[in-house]
Amino acid sequence: MIRLKAWLLSPWLTVRCQMLLGAIFVIAAFPKLMDPPGFAKAMHAYKLFPAWGIHPAALLMPWLELITGTLLALGLWVRTTTLWISALLVAFILSLSINLARHHPVDCGCFTTQEKPKTESERLNDMRWVILRDLGMLLLAAQILTAQRAKSKMEANTPVSSGR
Amino acid sequence: MRLPTSIPAQTAALLAITGLCALLANAVAGPRRHLAWFATPMTAPPIAPLIAEPISATIPAAIPTPAQPTPALPTPAQFPKAPTLKPTPSEVPTPQTPSQPVREIASAEAWAVFQAGAPFLDARRSADFEAGHIKGAFNLSVWESTLDEHLVEFEAKTNRPPEAPLVLYCSGGGCEDSHLLASRLFKMGYRNLLIYRDGYPDWQANGRPVAAGAK
Repeated sequence: MIRLKAWLLSPWLTVRCQMLLGAIFVIAAFPKLMDPPGFAKAMHAYKLFPAWGIHPAALLMPWLELITGTLLALGLWVRTTTLWISALLVAFILSLSINLARHHPVDCGCFTTQEKPKTESERLNDMRWVILRDLGMLLLAAQILTAQRAKSKMEANTPVSSGR
Repeated sequence: MRLPTSIPAQTAALLAITGLCALLANAVAGPRRHLAWFATPMTAPPIAPLIAEPISATIPAAIPTPAQPTPALPTPAQFPKAPTLKPTPSEVPTPQTPSQPVREIASAEAWAVFQAGAPFLDARRSADFEAGHIKGAFNLSVWESTLDEHLVEFEAKTNRPPEAPLVLYCSGGGCEDSHLLASRLFKMGYRNLLIYRDGYPDWQANGRPVAAGAK
């Protein structure tokens, strides 16, 4: 058990989680950066956001994804970027869950802004899978944050050398 | 230069960089990629949903109708699931009802109105329009910043009275772009807006005249 915990918090695993999560966010950002009107349309389909907020969100969110993803993959500002990525993931999960609960099928708009011809049940099924995928990514973020906290604790408990 | 180390300072820097990048990218974006930072909220006007039974009548294209107050009708989100009409040779178009300045139409009526020469407005993205559209349609993509410019062009080209019928379409199914375009045209004073509910996929499936490329 202790060995499993040590492995789960190991720098080896943390670096891989950072790179994977960062890369996913960078890849997800590109189609939205290439087509902000398409992303605004995808957001409008969720029927959750006020009309005045859709355009600014469609312009800012892809850049936030790209910058946080790049910094995380490079191991810079890890705690801050992971917290932002977690916040975004929670927002995605909530948005999809609300629409799933009210039986309103939407295209996720996560990795593409193109609409795909799908039936209502296919869309609803996809939404369930996307929620599961986002929960998986949230687990990666949890690993990074927990490992960061453990590292900070360890550093705080390490006695400072006298310099002799 | 010292980099920020605390979470609030890093957050502030992150948001500042994000905002700056978005501003710059949007400023240099071409017309298809450009998105206005603050758009006028588009809410659908009262729309009469599609009625299943066909009504025998004449083609509505030539009948200008005065605008009249409309009773409260469901918004697109509350539409009842109306069965789709299958066009048959014996079917004739439904008439323009004066009390319905914006209403949904089925496949057969769309075809009849097309034959009568009413303009078709394509609310889909310009890339979709270029890939294929109803022959003679105008592209008025509601999500692109070229909408205003295209609306002016359309009005100058057609110069139609507000009571003359206009057919709006998008991709059918759950697509709401034609409803959003109807909202815009309704605000501009158009009072005979026919939303082709099943849109371009249905038109194509019926083997009706299509064209490709930008207009």
